[in-house]
Amino acid sequence: MANALLRLAAKRGYGILLLLVLTVGAVSLRDPSFLRLGNLRDILVQAAPVAIVACGVMLVIVTAEIDISVGSLMGLLAAVLGITTSTARLGWPVPVGAAIVLGLGALVGLLNGLLVTLGRVPSIIVTLGMLTALRGVTEIVMGGEWITRLPPGLRRLGTGGWAGIPYSIWTAVAVAALTAVIIHRLPFGRRVYALGSNPRAARLAGLSGTRLRLAVFAWTGLLTGLATLISVPQLSTIESGLGSGLELLVVTCVVVGGVSVNGGRGGLVGVLLAVVLMVMIRTVLVFLKLGETPEYWARAIQGAFILGAVLVDHLAAARLRKGGAA
Amino acid sequence: MTRSLPERWRAFRFRWWHETVLVVLLAGLLVVAGRLDPTFVRPATQVELSTHAWELAILAIGVTPVIITGGIDLSVGSTLSLCAVVLGLSFEAGLSPWLGAGLALLAGLAAGALNGWFVTRTRVHPLIVTLATLAAYHGVAEGISLGRPISGFPDTFTHALGKATPAGLPVPAWIVLALALLASLYLLRTAAGRFTYAIGCNDKACRFSGVPVDRILLRLYAVSGLLAGLAAVLFVARRNTAKADVGAGLELTAITAVVLGGTSINGGRGHILGTLLGVLLIHETREFVGWQWNRDELNFIVIGALLIASVVVHQGLSRRREA
Repeated sequence: MANALLRLAAKRGYGILLLLVLTVGAVSLRDPSFLRLGNLRDILVQAAPVAIVACGVMLVIVTAEIDISVGSLMGLLAAVLGITTSTARLGWPVPVGAAIVLGLGALVGLLNGLLVTLGRVPSIIVTLGMLTALRGVTEIVMGGEWITRLPPGLRRLGTGGWAGIPYSIWTAVAVAALTAVIIHRLPFGRRVYALGSNPRAARLAGLSGTRLRLAVFAWTGLLTGLATLISVPQLSTIESGLGSGLELLVVTCVVVGGVSVNGGRGGLVGVLLAVVLMVMIRTVLVFLKLGETPEYWARAIQGAFILGAVLVDHLAAARLRKGGAA
Repeated sequence: MTRSLPERWRAFRFRWWHETVLVVLLAGLLVVAGRLDPTFVRPATQVELSTHAWELAILAIGVTPVIITGGIDLSVGSTLSLCAVVLGLSFEAGLSPWLGAGLALLAGLAAGALNGWFVTRTRVHPLIVTLATLAAYHGVAEGISLGRPISGFPDTFTHALGKATPAGLPVPAWIVLALALLASLYLLRTAAGRFTYAIGCNDKACRFSGVPVDRILLRLYAVSGLLAGLAAVLFVARRNTAKADVGAGLELTAITAVVLGGTSINGGRGHILGTLLGVLLIHETREFVGWQWNRDELNFIVIGALLIASVVVHQGLSRRREA
């Protein structure tokens, strides 16, 4: 019995689901209005861009690489989106601005991939450099001024919806579904996992590690562009610090969701649940009504969640090993 | 076992290419800077500007051995914030700032030891562990200080650590020099230091050979935290303020300096001297860009590009040597 529980805990998805249910249950006991549709929708709207980017970063981590440049990339793309479409700046049509954002996102992702594959620079270094450099590029592009007067067409992307559900949630669901198809149904997904679990065997089997890595990095860049398109228009002004810290939140979610940083292992469901759990923390703290102080602890709780996940993994693995030997 | 001269000559390999390149780059930068604005390279200006670099140097010295083992410590910036807040709060509670500094050092040591405990005990990748504590320590710093700044430290404290210049150099400079010397001696001349490189090359082989891998790792992470605490004390003394976000982002600059200094992110290779040169190069670039164009944003681009370029060049060089 205890072993069965441990085996369950080792499958990360269930553990997080349990934690999620417990948290939601506890909070709604204290304040039932937590379960109001509006509140749940707000949480999902906040989670949407994180989930979209996490779908990309997850594949990168499955190949045993990492991408920590997404926060700065989102900042840059937000600035570009604002400058191209704002009526106070270039005032181009929204679809043109959106296309530029998606293209530029994919391009930066591709550049990351090129430096990792052809430049043979470890991905943590490449994306760490990008994280710093893109922040600077953004500041230069913005010229130290906030971008205002976003066109209504753009604002609708962020605030509008279809069938009562905001576009951002639809987009996140679509991206998640697409990622599930990629992972479970397409040869590409299997190859990504093969590359991550044993790069040498993958090469001997005739897979091109270069092409696969280029693809996952570019895909992550593209998804970061998509996340920018659905989240930034919710704001009325665009400032230069946008997106900072996103990279850590995303990597945290992917890891808490059970994806191994050594590559080759981890599923989508755990990651998506982890995104909701992590994004929910702030809202939960507000609803617990413990005064103003707990909000300051949100980051500490996020960190504690990762350490907790790490410990549970360790303990479960140790117990299972012992159980298996007996 | 005496070897003939030609044999010895062939066995000799110049091991300091990376450092030489850094010195040339640094000299080039200073020459160009001197041409553009002679006041920038004056010793007085340099000593004045150098105050910005010491804390970074201390963090980088702590992180270097960790990266040599093939690990990484992303939490040093948050640890610095946490220690600064500990110092600030204990001062607010009526303790002397010196006692507060002691507590800050202890907090740093504890934070680093916790990293080390997780890394050695659960064998989870240090990237993940320290990513978690990056969030956690920052969160705790925010939580206990409620995000407000603490200032008003007595002059005796800020002057002794911040403004005093015994023998011509500020106190932090002496601390950095002493630490660099100690760390170099540790890495190059002690058994544990040599094992540090061995762990970075092949930790499994080390474990099988009876090297106390976990003990060494635990110690290195703890020291990295302790040095972050020391940097926090110096930071608070220099700026006369403590706040929960003072260290945010510093971990990335420190790691950039270490990698720029030639330490391999995959472990097994690197020197304190290189790290110091890396810190110096970043520092001079940053200060000069700020001095000349007054545009901080250019810094980010230059540092990011330097980081990637240095590794690309390094990979290119080592591939040529292999061939």
